Amino acid sequence: MKLPEIGTYAIAFLIILALIFLLPRMMPGDPLTAICGEEVLVEMTPELKAELVHRFALDEPLWSQFFVYLTGIMHGDFGYSYYYNAPVLEIILEALPWTLLLVGTSLVLSTVLSIIIGIESGWRRGKVSDKFLLTTTMILNGFPDFFIGIILLLLFAVYLGCLPLQGAKTPYSDLSGINSMLDIAQHLVLPLIALTLAQLPGSYLLMRNTMITTLKEAFVRTAKAKGLSEVAVRYKHAGRNALLPIVTTTGVRVGIIFTGALFIEIIFSYPGVGLLSYNALLMRDYPILQGVFFIVAVFVILANFVVDLLYTKIDPRIGVDNTEYAH
Amino acid sequence: MKNKHIAIVTLLSILLFSLLTCLAIAGADSGNTNEGGEITCIIADSTGDWGYPSPHGHYPRGPGYVRMSLVFDTLVWKDKQGFVPALATDWEYIEDENAYLFHLREGVTWHDGEKFTADDVAFTFNYVKEHPSWWVDLKSLKQAEILDEYTVKIYLEERYAPFLNSDAGGLAILPKHVWQDVEDPAEFKEPESLIGTGPFKLVDYSKTHGTYLYEANKDYYLGKTNIDNLKFVKISEEMASTALMRNEVFATAIPPETVAEVRENGFVIINQSGNWNAKLMINHEKEPMSSKEFRHALAYAINRTELVEIAQRGHAIQGSPGLLSPTSPYYNPEIINYEYDPERAKDILESMGYGHNGEILELELITAPRMGFERVAEIIARQLEAVGIKVNIRSLESKTLDYRVMNQQFDLAISGHGGIGGDPAILNKVILGNFGYSANYTKNDTLNQLLEAHLHEMDQEKRQAIVREIQGVYAEELPALTLYYPTWYWGHDGSVDIYYTMGGIASGIPIPLNKLAFMEYKGNAEVPAATEAPVPGFGLLISILALTGVAYLVIRRRND
Repeated sequence: MKLPEIGTYAIAFLIILALIFLLPRMMPGDPLTAICGEEVLVEMTPELKAELVHRFALDEPLWSQFFVYLTGIMHGDFGYSYYYNAPVLEIILEALPWTLLLVGTSLVLSTVLSIIIGIESGWRRGKVSDKFLLTTTMILNGFPDFFIGIILLLLFAVYLGCLPLQGAKTPYSDLSGINSMLDIAQHLVLPLIALTLAQLPGSYLLMRNTMITTLKEAFVRTAKAKGLSEVAVRYKHAGRNALLPIVTTTGVRVGIIFTGALFIEIIFSYPGVGLLSYNALLMRDYPILQGVFFIVAVFVILANFVVDLLYTKIDPRIGVDNTEYAH
Repeated sequence: MKNKHIAIVTLLSILLFSLLTCLAIAGADSGNTNEGGEITCIIADSTGDWGYPSPHGHYPRGPGYVRMSLVFDTLVWKDKQGFVPALATDWEYIEDENAYLFHLREGVTWHDGEKFTADDVAFTFNYVKEHPSWWVDLKSLKQAEILDEYTVKIYLEERYAPFLNSDAGGLAILPKHVWQDVEDPAEFKEPESLIGTGPFKLVDYSKTHGTYLYEANKDYYLGKTNIDNLKFVKISEEMASTALMRNEVFATAIPPETVAEVRENGFVIINQSGNWNAKLMINHEKEPMSSKEFRHALAYAINRTELVEIAQRGHAIQGSPGLLSPTSPYYNPEIINYEYDPERAKDILESMGYGHNGEILELELITAPRMGFERVAEIIARQLEAVGIKVNIRSLESKTLDYRVMNQQFDLAISGHGGIGGDPAILNKVILGNFGYSANYTKNDTLNQLLEAHLHEMDQEKRQAIVREIQGVYAEELPALTLYYPTWYWGHDGSVDIYYTMGGIASGIPIPLNKLAFMEYKGNAEVPAATEAPVPGFGLLISILALTGVAYLVIRRRND
């Protein structure tokens, strides 16, 4: 990794920080009125209001709030939530493991599945199995992310009743060890499938198209001519070379999958950062929103960084001085 | 060979899927109301997390207060019929001194075994005056005086009618020995912060999962609760009825459209209307809405019956222009009702130079995608167009809507608020105040004076008369039009008769989870037997099929 590239990441990071800070504040409505919301029984006395304004530094000018925010982040302090009445980091760290479990598993699952079916589908271009896969994924692709979730929820949780309706684990079930893990896995099934199916079409189509292009290359013909087995040609030669775009887009997909998780978490009441940010948005809880955006941004940037590193492993041409291949 | 791999991959995917399904069945849940001889009531909630259930720790919403009220008691409480003694056994208002005298219950202990005395009560009043809470506004409090160990006199700054209901009935009494040194009550979350005198003790609270677990306080002064544990779990609104019918929960709020099905399955339905109202907000600062006659025309043009029948599918009561609902003890039926009369609306509009023959008036109606407001907006737009007003509907995010209403950046808006089933002090807030739901109307002096007067009228009958008068003037001025009061439903399995509290819990929370209801557990006698464990064979069947398929392919491949 060269210095200018790290500089690019730093600039991207700073711009993201500024946006994270400004965007929630550009929404109409201030947090104090939002805290009361529709709840008319809340008594917002002038004393209470003054205390809150001071506690959340809402009386400070914007630049000063931004400065406090930046210095806070340097110290690992993400601020204090208006609504939850607790430090932001504490709240996010409680929700984050659930989102990582969901998003992480789904990312791996959707990538692996899309690579395999993409390779197979590209190999069999125009055949019945390819057409079937293509049509199915196109149909899946046409649905909004949450739609698949709702269908799965209705089918498996409501009508068949074989999977839990909501949440990430059975509350106060006194389960321990393997049973507790089973319980968590059981709660993960539906959100995971919904999120994976929503992510699948994009990367499948990409994988299939690259596979088709790669198969036209001369080296594939050479490999076949050498008498290599079909599987070797398909996976080791064509497949591996077709992997590049999928790997490149993984960084971008991390961001997309977090967005997908937002809807899925709301549908399944899955207690991750998506549900948290949705509630924070309704409450105009700036510190929580900033914290969640920050964490997600860090993950996306990290993912891109990792992809950059991985890239050189898969395609040795990158990372070496490119001029060699310019001619 | 060629099709084999894709077959295997497909089969493997199915296998994975079904294995996961199997996993699900392996851990098939039980969990209803009886676990190992202990009776547990499980209540579903769509939001789940309502904050740490201490008086300053819960979120500023009704459900948060309810969770707190299980642990902490107030001086007076309410049940189905009205006020009942709680920590105070009786009380009286002393007119000359403008003070309330409370005789406290003897022999009450805190959860840690300490004795409850007048010292705690006086301490709490002074402490909360100093550390304001969301829920109780002690602006009327002058001072709390201890007369003896079990007698307290609370002096008021001015005569304040809602004191008994909202302050004495809302202020959770804190143990002085725990709280006297606490500087920041909202952040005080040590285990002793939940020492109350209430019928339940908190065992666990999970913010992330939105769950609460309480156990019964065996030493409760009104007798032991007849259930051992009380759980709150998070289940979305859409799934609540299903969870109830699957006996996963004992009670839950349910959407109106599932009421019939839930009832058919043998569950008890309770309902309530008149606490919440949907309103047409009218920008009375802007032409032509600033004219009272024009606002009357709007009211005549809007068919509120149609809103109830179509937008609410009958699950509502038609709105009264006086704001308070017919279910309120303060309701005035003798006010002008603006029965649907489009011809009259047209006449008024024409006399003002608008309508079909005059200038075409275009108004913007803003609404938000919540509580079916968008449907309401469409019907109103159609009704107003019938009398010659062109309406442009604009749907906004709900906080944006509130903001625009507060800042008078609108023509017409659909909004709403609750609290009108409780103390009528709420009228001052929703008529005079500047919130997204309030009329923000201070132009009429009579109305202003009446609103001030009823707050200080300690005689209940006289106060009722003033509140009736307020509704008359409000309906005539019509700064906003109450459209309907939606009906809310709860379903439960009958083991505990939960009920809606008279005038709402404390200052008016319309949730049927009054702690006193849990003193009477009736057992599961008249409840249908728990449903059979639902179709566990499904995932298993697929897995077996998939396994067979894979085995077959592997064998065939070996034979090749």
